[in-house]
Amino acid sequence: MNFEIINPSSTEELLGTIKSLQKEKFRFGAGCTDLLMELKKNPEENLTVINLSQVKDASFTGIKKTTNQFRLGALFTAHKIVINEELKINFPVLHQSALTLASTQIRQVATVGGNLCTASPSGDIACALVALEAQCEILGTTGKTRTVPVTDFFMGPRKTVLKSNEVLYSISVPVNNKLSKNILSGFIKVGTRRSMECSVVSIAYHIQTDEHGNIINAGVAIGASAPTIRFAKEACEFLIGKKLKHISHKEKEKFAEKVLSYAAPITDIRATAWYRKEVLFNISKSIFE
Amino acid sequence: MKEQLKNNKTKMEVLHEISFTLNEKKVSCKIKASTVLLDLIRDFFELKGTKPGCNEGECGACTVLVNGAPVNSCLFLAVNANGKNITTIEGLTNSDGSLHPVQESLVQHGAVQCGFCTSGMAMSIKALMNQYENSQHVPGEIRSEFPTRDEIKKYLEGNLCRCTGYVKIVDAAEKLFAKED
Amino acid sequence: MQQKNYSQKKINRMKKELKVIGKPIPKQDANIRVTGKAIYGHDIVLPGMLYGAILRTEHPSAIIESIDVSEAKKFPGVICVITADDVDVNNIGYKRDHPILKKGEANCTRDEIAAVAAETKEIALQALKLIKVKYKIRKGVYDAFDALKESAPQINKFISGKFENKNIAEKFHYEHGNLEEEKKKSQHIVTRRFTLPRMTHACMATSNITASYNNVDRKLLLYSSTQVPFLYQRDMAHALKMNPSDIRVIQPVIGGGFGSKLDMHPFEPICALLSIKTGKPVQIIYSREEEFIASPIRQPMVIDLTAGVDKHGNFTFREINIVKDNGAYTSWGATTPFVIMQAFSSLYKLKACRFNAMAVYTNNVFAGSFRGYGNPQATFALERVIDLLADELGMDKAEIRLLNANEKGEVTGQGLLYDTCGHKECLETVISKSHYGKKSLANKDSRHKRGIGLASMLHVGGGAKIYRSDGCGTTLKIDPYGYCTIITGSNEIGQGSETVLAMIASEELGIDLKKIKVINTDTDVKPWDVGVHASRTSFVAGNSLLGAIKILKEKLNRKTAELLKTSHPDFEYSENKIISLKSNESIALDKVVREMHFSQPNELAIASYFYEPSSKFQDKDFKGNVSGTYAFASQAITVEVDTYTGNVKVLDVYVAQDVGKVLNPLLLGGQIEGGILQGVGYALTEELLMHEGRILNPNFHNYKMLTASDTPEIHFYPIETNDKEGPYGAKGVGEAPLIPTAAAIANAVCNALDLEFLELPITPEKVLFAIAEKKRTDKMHSL
Repeated sequence: MNFEIINPSSTEELLGTIKSLQKEKFRFGAGCTDLLMELKKNPEENLTVINLSQVKDASFTGIKKTTNQFRLGALFTAHKIVINEELKINFPVLHQSALTLASTQIRQVATVGGNLCTASPSGDIACALVALEAQCEILGTTGKTRTVPVTDFFMGPRKTVLKSNEVLYSISVPVNNKLSKNILSGFIKVGTRRSMECSVVSIAYHIQTDEHGNIINAGVAIGASAPTIRFAKEACEFLIGKKLKHISHKEKEKFAEKVLSYAAPITDIRATAWYRKEVLFNISKSIFE
Repeated sequence: MKEQLKNNKTKMEVLHEISFTLNEKKVSCKIKASTVLLDLIRDFFELKGTKPGCNEGECGACTVLVNGAPVNSCLFLAVNANGKNITTIEGLTNSDGSLHPVQESLVQHGAVQCGFCTSGMAMSIKALMNQYENSQHVPGEIRSEFPTRDEIKKYLEGNLCRCTGYVKIVDAAEKLFAKED
Repeated sequence: MQQKNYSQKKINRMKKELKVIGKPIPKQDANIRVTGKAIYGHDIVLPGMLYGAILRTEHPSAIIESIDVSEAKKFPGVICVITADDVDVNNIGYKRDHPILKKGEANCTRDEIAAVAAETKEIALQALKLIKVKYKIRKGVYDAFDALKESAPQINKFISGKFENKNIAEKFHYEHGNLEEEKKKSQHIVTRRFTLPRMTHACMATSNITASYNNVDRKLLLYSSTQVPFLYQRDMAHALKMNPSDIRVIQPVIGGGFGSKLDMHPFEPICALLSIKTGKPVQIIYSREEEFIASPIRQPMVIDLTAGVDKHGNFTFREINIVKDNGAYTSWGATTPFVIMQAFSSLYKLKACRFNAMAVYTNNVFAGSFRGYGNPQATFALERVIDLLADELGMDKAEIRLLNANEKGEVTGQGLLYDTCGHKECLETVISKSHYGKKSLANKDSRHKRGIGLASMLHVGGGAKIYRSDGCGTTLKIDPYGYCTIITGSNEIGQGSETVLAMIASEELGIDLKKIKVINTDTDVKPWDVGVHASRTSFVAGNSLLGAIKILKEKLNRKTAELLKTSHPDFEYSENKIISLKSNESIALDKVVREMHFSQPNELAIASYFYEPSSKFQDKDFKGNVSGTYAFASQAITVEVDTYTGNVKVLDVYVAQDVGKVLNPLLLGGQIEGGILQGVGYALTEELLMHEGRILNPNFHNYKMLTASDTPEIHFYPIETNDKEGPYGAKGVGEAPLIPTAAAIANAVCNALDLEFLELPITPEKVLFAIAEKKRTDKMHSL
């Protein structure tokens, strides 16, 4: 493993660095855990790593709440998500997904942006963010930003919409306003052990009801079930208008079938496609049990 | 001198100068960009207490504290230690050689067998203590003063141990919190 | 007053009130480990040391047409490159069928083709990439049954061919009783085939060695993590064509053993060869991936078991055929049938047994020894079939076990003599503590199903006479300052043997634990011992130490009597003093030693003893009392199965183990808990996955070793049977805890789901598949 490194400490320096490397081979490193693992296995020649972890700007590293959204800087860590009580109350799905990510040690350094940009089909935080229909804010070297829904962020395994002169800036999740109590929200991760797992299958769900218990908003995403994390749009639409407490057994199964229609899992050493589908169906149902 | 010769033989590398606090001592050194903290600690500073268990962030034997938080030093770029406060197992031990309460508890509870995971385990338990001591950084958080047994287990999930079955390690950690009662 | 004191002490002594033994004393070497000061193999740096690395084959089965190391040799910083052509060595391994460096052909994914010594580890690894090997890929044999076919090629060319099939590496046949007769008497007979996976030790410290050859006096110094230094010294000498005494083995602190360090592996003589060639110290440390690929495994095997029961529930016979996948070379793992046959022949009373086992060469990775030594495999099959027999008979699963449990005084069909036997008490304990059969396990909901399973085990508890001697030597000395040094042949691999020995010395000599040192790491210093295996260390090394203490005490007593001017020989050793029980006069121990050393007739306070257990070498039919004593254990385990995901959660483990006598509850608990979690891993999650000879999951990411959050509640009940052979009545304990765990979990899962599982590990996928299959067949039946 051998590479050069540049350590910008501000947004300005960062953009300058990206600009200066446009003709060269470079990679971003934030928590660097995935990156180092990859480079240890497959070293790349003449590589420069743009080390993001010394960027100090709060717009990159902090969290900001406005009336209608939480904005998480791309360098906000998994650990910070876990210990943030407001996130825990408003977005249990996000809290739980961060809490099941790898280990305590990894969560100290792993970032929201890293989890998204790795574009792994089994990304935990990424799956939660898809269910929450978060918005990705992308910063270009010109200093201009553009916003892309997270559902459109992934192009395929390890591929995102980021261009070579862009960097992920932040992720915003819409606030529930006063409805935070009327939510059914969570993250189910299936693996062999109870810790240190990479999802064999995962499902993230964030369902909101009105005062009468009618579902008014639903977000469901599945992980490790297709080349990218998928938003199960039809399954979500199916739920709208239903009374959360009175979803029948048939409806649960119908919902699970709709979720399953988004899955195109593979067979690998961790599980067969058959198992992944079977489990996805079961845990989809279990959301309402 | 010999190290330099060796470097010349391979390739001229750009070295990065970093300064940080290592076990309460200010240190600085020049390193390659790709150097990981584990190698820096073990090979340059010759602190062999931090153990290389897997070099892939899966076992936690190399856990050290960076500004009080536990990280896998095998996946932590040494350049990012710059300006930070790093504590290894050698820094946990009191300067007169007496044991830190975490170490004492591990010994007294029979939590040490082969010991290869122990340094990392001790650092993780220390980090958990830090987290509870500094709980003011979590605004509005409603949290009990001490972690439950399950919370301890969850916190130590990234530290593998093949000898003990973890029971006595969790006992040792639990007792540390109970003592402060 | 004095008289009263005397009698009180006398009574205490007669009751053998123990002051140190039985106390929860922390491990004496825990402090250096918990502070990071312990020196493991990874921490050794010698002046001028080079770093070695090994090139392994790209293909599990191939002709090696050529090896070109010229580029690697030219690479700056490379000092030495060796291939099979550069060395004059003997094969290694229990059957001497294993070349250290491979020539002409590769037969397994671990095969060592070349090795490099360089100035840095990075250079060594880069140099490996410059070695060009031309392979002609062959179709390998990756299934033991395929290897037995006529058409299969001969995989290992180094065997003598003493068996009927060219690919049989080793065979075992054993029987007792009249099998045909017992078959006729059987009311029910159950036959099943069980398949056992590859599990690996995954020691937290990867394999390592530092070799330092002194080319002036031609002696080789090895810093090695072996568990069996004296056998290792001999094997190394044979491999390198050296005199064993010219090889000195020093064991640094060992980061986990569990049986993995019983065999000598090729990387060790390779490292020695690199040091011999360069005249410099050379170190080889495995990466974690290399550790998964190239270190040993628990033997995978297929067990065909047929067993019978008469109408009253008495076990009648067992017929066992085992095919073990030996891999490409033979290790000690091939001899596990020694232990496996004991479980089948002698766990529960049994009238007749016929046992056949063979180890078959394949192009897979070769097996090694692993805590339990075949016994977890055997116990899984046996205890599963006992549940099935009980079902057939309509008998309670606890009752059938109690009816057939082994008893004190029993001599089994194989000739094992149970002088003490806590089997029944173990069973009764876990049955009562787990409320087995009393409370039905309420399922939380229709999704989560609960079940309970029982299993017992039998294992050697007083060593195992498989080598010419199963003994251990001790040299004991007390210095003029009253400190005691125990020089023992035994080894510390994390299990706590140093502490137990120090406790014994402290108990007997009345010396503070702090004043006791244990020297156990240097073959040039320590007396002979066969090594750490068969749960033997506390038993054999403990008895050896007691023997030395007895001799030394005779010397000390003589001097004390002289100094106290008493003819009464009754002395008590306490608080670093020797006290006359008659006069209550006392004298400091260090003073006695000084008087011994410095006054006439000048004499050392030193004693040596060699302990050989009373066990016997088994005859050619494998009959005989192979161990000094036997350990028994039972476990009752409750599980909860998530029928949505197939995940099995182990809730409670109730374990009762006949440990003879608790020497140190803290260390004992550590052995029990650690063993059980390894057993849970074997039952549910751990498997080295292979496809066509290649390992698919050589990392902690995909090899599912359990974490702290996976630990069940463990309830441990030691059963003390006070074996007269054991030190203070103790038996070996190290392996037992994991042996019945997988069996009990399998029984619990089967109980929860009313399904059968015939292979380990019982992964979520297998569970879900079985549930789906059952639904399908149930549907078919209802149509």
